[in-house]
Amino acid sequence: MLDNLDLSMRANHVFFALLTAILAVLGVMLAITGDTFYLRLATEALILGGLALSVDILLGFGGLLSLGQALYFGIGAYTSALVLREVPSFWGAMLAAIGVTLVCGIIGGLIANRVRGVYFALITFGMAQVVAKVVYNTRSLGASDGLIGVPVLDIPLGFVTISAGSPLAFFVLTFVIIALMYGGVAYLLSTPFGRVIIALKANEKRLPFLGYSTWKPRMAAYVIAALVAGISGALYPMLRGFVSPELMFFATSGNALIMVIVGGVGTLVGALYGAALLTLLKSIIGSLTEHHLIVIGLIFIGAILFMPKGLIGVVKPAVQGRLTRRARKHAHLPLTARREGD
Amino acid sequence: MTENILETRDLSIAFGGLKAVDKVSFVAIPNGITTVIGPNGAGKTTLFNLISGALRPSSGQVMLAGLDVTGHGSEKLQAEGLARSFQITNLFFEMTVRENLRLAAQRLEPLSHGLRRIRRKGRAAEKVDELIARFDLGAKAFEIVGTLSHGEQRRLEIAMCLACEPKLLMLDEPTQGMSHSDTEETADLIRSLTGDASVLLIEHDIGLVMSLSDHVLVMHQGANLAEGTPAEIRANPAVQAAYFGQG
Repeated sequence: MLDNLDLSMRANHVFFALLTAILAVLGVMLAITGDTFYLRLATEALILGGLALSVDILLGFGGLLSLGQALYFGIGAYTSALVLREVPSFWGAMLAAIGVTLVCGIIGGLIANRVRGVYFALITFGMAQVVAKVVYNTRSLGASDGLIGVPVLDIPLGFVTISAGSPLAFFVLTFVIIALMYGGVAYLLSTPFGRVIIALKANEKRLPFLGYSTWKPRMAAYVIAALVAGISGALYPMLRGFVSPELMFFATSGNALIMVIVGGVGTLVGALYGAALLTLLKSIIGSLTEHHLIVIGLIFIGAILFMPKGLIGVVKPAVQGRLTRRARKHAHLPLTARREGD
Repeated sequence: MTENILETRDLSIAFGGLKAVDKVSFVAIPNGITTVIGPNGAGKTTLFNLISGALRPSSGQVMLAGLDVTGHGSEKLQAEGLARSFQITNLFFEMTVRENLRLAAQRLEPLSHGLRRIRRKGRAAEKVDELIARFDLGAKAFEIVGTLSHGEQRRLEIAMCLACEPKLLMLDEPTQGMSHSDTEETADLIRSLTGDASVLLIEHDIGLVMSLSDHVLVMHQGANLAEGTPAEIRANPAVQAAYFGQG
């Protein structure tokens, strides 16, 4: 019989499969109608979903609230843009972004992990603001204008070469990358090492008395989250052709947090649903009124008041309950009523 | 002569001007039960915190199996064979019983298994099964710990300590808040633990202390007031004045 945490992760996978199906149908429909706008919007939603995923790794599993996760998103985006302007190589840009975010994630982790709780949130916020302001005032990084003129890429994937200029192809590639990151993180969290990260959120004070360091798993979670944000960020200039300092601003970090909370904290897949929902709403409401932030704000307040566990949190207990009953039946255990974990 | 499993030498800590633990020296009975008693505020839990690495002593030494472990952190001490429970139940309340035990036991497996999928077989899994059976938690194995009864949580608290096969087991008021029948059962359980480890106990129930202990250490205002077998302690006039006298 599987542990509750494993069943919980399986329930997330059910929703990921559903998301894949929805996106596949959407992709085919949009491709047939020859749409480019919504395909590019969906690609942007996935990229922002990667940033939200990184917020959820910290918040939903390690119990760490980062208010500056856009820092690593921006670092990935700028590194990617800088490389692409010199050498238009997809793999070069990705590798550079991974390397730079890794180093920055370790440095940031060494600083932020000296403190806990509210102070951790404030330090992550502060670090992102400082770097964003530095970028904003650095001419060689394009200052407040950002970096423009990122060329449209040809991306060699071994068996086929796709163009970042093709909305459908780049949408599919982005989905594959986000899916790989989702799968990788879900796998890591299902290992003994991942259990220690989850235990950090549950009861950090008890861990040392079971012989575990608390600093190491916290640091590992931080660096992994930074990498996920950085890789997502690296895709951004390939889609949009430019990067700007706003990518690192608090608005970006805050939006990612809203996506996670609306989608469902601690579910991984909720981050992606939240990103899709918010990106779509912003686009639709933004085309109707320039005060779309008011509407988004109201939706956020409503979500917290009436769906504190987010979209996925509302429907997940039913799915997880089903998986639990099935697992118990296989293990010949009594089908007792139980509270479903989140 | 074999090494003492646990020995403290003039162990002290002061908080400001208050000497919470004042030059306490004692030797725990190997594979027996050594109990620390004393009125509230005598420094029993502080002594536990000093030995288990939660606090760093101002002076004095802690020797674990002949090794000077003074000032070692909790994480390191655990690897050196020390496990402790807490007066206030301290578990992973959102996880199931199995998940709690699994977390405690997974250190039995090589570090290289840390990034592999959790195995249903192997040393950690066997240990979890063994503990669930021994502590009679089978019916609750897949339940969230927060939904368990107080007695069950206290039992799990002890089981967690045994998961890594410690040499020294420190239990801080394991029967705290338990019903009479639960207390009796827990006493039997604690007695059975001496087969696995040496036990250092903090306990308030004097009847239990007298029946369980091989050796009793009486603390009063941070200091070691008396030491001896339960019978000796019962007959000690200083203890009677300081402890039993207060009713």
